[in-house]
Amino acid sequence: MLYKISALALLMPASGLVAQTSVPAKVTADLPAGPMQAKATTACLECHEARIILQQRLSKPAWTKEVDKMAKWGALVDPADRDALIDYLSTNFSPDKPVYEPQRTAVEKKASAPKNY
Amino acid sequence: MSTTTKSRREFLKQMSRAALLAGAAPSMLAWALPQGQSVPFPGEDDMLLRSFRFVDLESPVEYFDTWLTPVPHFFVRNHMYEPRELDANDWRLSLGGEVEKPLTLNLTELEKFETHSVVNTLECAGNGRSLHRPQVPGIQWGKGAVGTARFAGPLLRDILQRAGIKPTGKHVMFRGLDEVPGKVPPFIRSIPIEKALDPDTLIATHMNGSPLTKHHGFPGRALVPGWVGAASCKWLTEIKVLDSEFVGNFMNPGYRLPNQPVKPGDTVKPEDTHPVTALSVKSVIAGPSDGANLKAGKVTVHGAAWAGEADIVKVEISADGGASWSPAKLAHEQSHYAWRLWSYDCKIGKAGEHTIQSRATDSQGHTQPATPVWNPSGYLYNAVDQVKIYVS
Repeated sequence: MLYKISALALLMPASGLVAQTSVPAKVTADLPAGPMQAKATTACLECHEARIILQQRLSKPAWTKEVDKMAKWGALVDPADRDALIDYLSTNFSPDKPVYEPQRTAVEKKASAPKNY
Repeated sequence: MSTTTKSRREFLKQMSRAALLAGAAPSMLAWALPQGQSVPFPGEDDMLLRSFRFVDLESPVEYFDTWLTPVPHFFVRNHMYEPRELDANDWRLSLGGEVEKPLTLNLTELEKFETHSVVNTLECAGNGRSLHRPQVPGIQWGKGAVGTARFAGPLLRDILQRAGIKPTGKHVMFRGLDEVPGKVPPFIRSIPIEKALDPDTLIATHMNGSPLTKHHGFPGRALVPGWVGAASCKWLTEIKVLDSEFVGNFMNPGYRLPNQPVKPGDTVKPEDTHPVTALSVKSVIAGPSDGANLKAGKVTVHGAAWAGEADIVKVEISADGGASWSPAKLAHEQSHYAWRLWSYDCKIGKAGEHTIQSRATDSQGHTQPATPVWNPSGYLYNAVDQVKIYVS
């Protein structure tokens, strides 16, 4: 429902009532709080959303490889921030953290019954 | 089946009803949805959300109870953004490279080729990646980046033959309309000419009897049966016949396996690797669910098993932690590249925790290994599957 309302709000930007009462559905996740949250958001979430990071459980050497690969692929990482970014990721998403539990997409009202196609 | 577990859908319905009856606050449901509400996703139904942007959706294994996976439950894997605009009228497929007569087809022209259909189990090379130890980077798929559908469309071979392949043509490259962010290398891969000419390799336009949805590559995609999903390029717009394997990130270093088993931390030289192609033999338990609480008595264990280009000949079940194995019954529906559903009734009288395992064997004599074969990118996880159940 929220999805529909926010789509409506986009279609009717001049409608004050809709704009004030609708809250766009939050469909993407955030990175965890910390001194590097803002810079990591800029560097990483320009191209992909936070869930791709939240689900990783990697050692510091593995995070180092990922950060360097992504910088090569266009992530905006100030060389002065590289080590702090690697620390932030390898602290928050280390192999000892609990298993990531993904959300599910909504259940469609009409269940898809098995069919012979 | 004497299971007392319900599908999540039924479970949530019951919980919602119970919460309403009890006048419960939404927080009562919080543990059932660990990170808040489910996410609206038109056309997709109750899928595990690995990523919203780019779209990566995993099927919960409980849906592996039909031979053909309904499209709303079929996994979606993207490396990039899906094309923002797709107009069937404007779409063109070009074919060039090592051919006598390069050609460009629109959708109407493509659909004039004879249509073939293939029931194919499509699995992401990284399915099961999250189960490798130590963990490796990439989408942390559980067991559900796999599904089976009836794909239909012209044979790639017929289109290649209309253009005329030169003797120098040895590989066939696919490029899709994915939109590439930043300086990320485009998702372009190639397959050897022999597989491209296989009488089951398609340019698929339909899936389970309907035109492809956007998430699955509308209006046309490659369908390379029995091979990892990455071979089956979506939103196909260019086919190019090459004299050698395509050179690019998603052929090398991406989607390669070490020629010899490696240990975590080993350095693997590029020349000691080969591209990931056909899927491995594998079975997955669709029910009972891992962690299910069951009553003592008959328990029906069921699931699916597949083997890429080979056929499944046997699925065995162990209800005693692997000490003894018994053959499961294979369902009658079968097709060369498609999974077999299977089931096995076992009697569990003793209360407590039990481990149920499944292991498949294929027509080439391969059996699922007891422990995973680790590799740096976590491809082709196919260890014996298992669930733990609790019997009261």
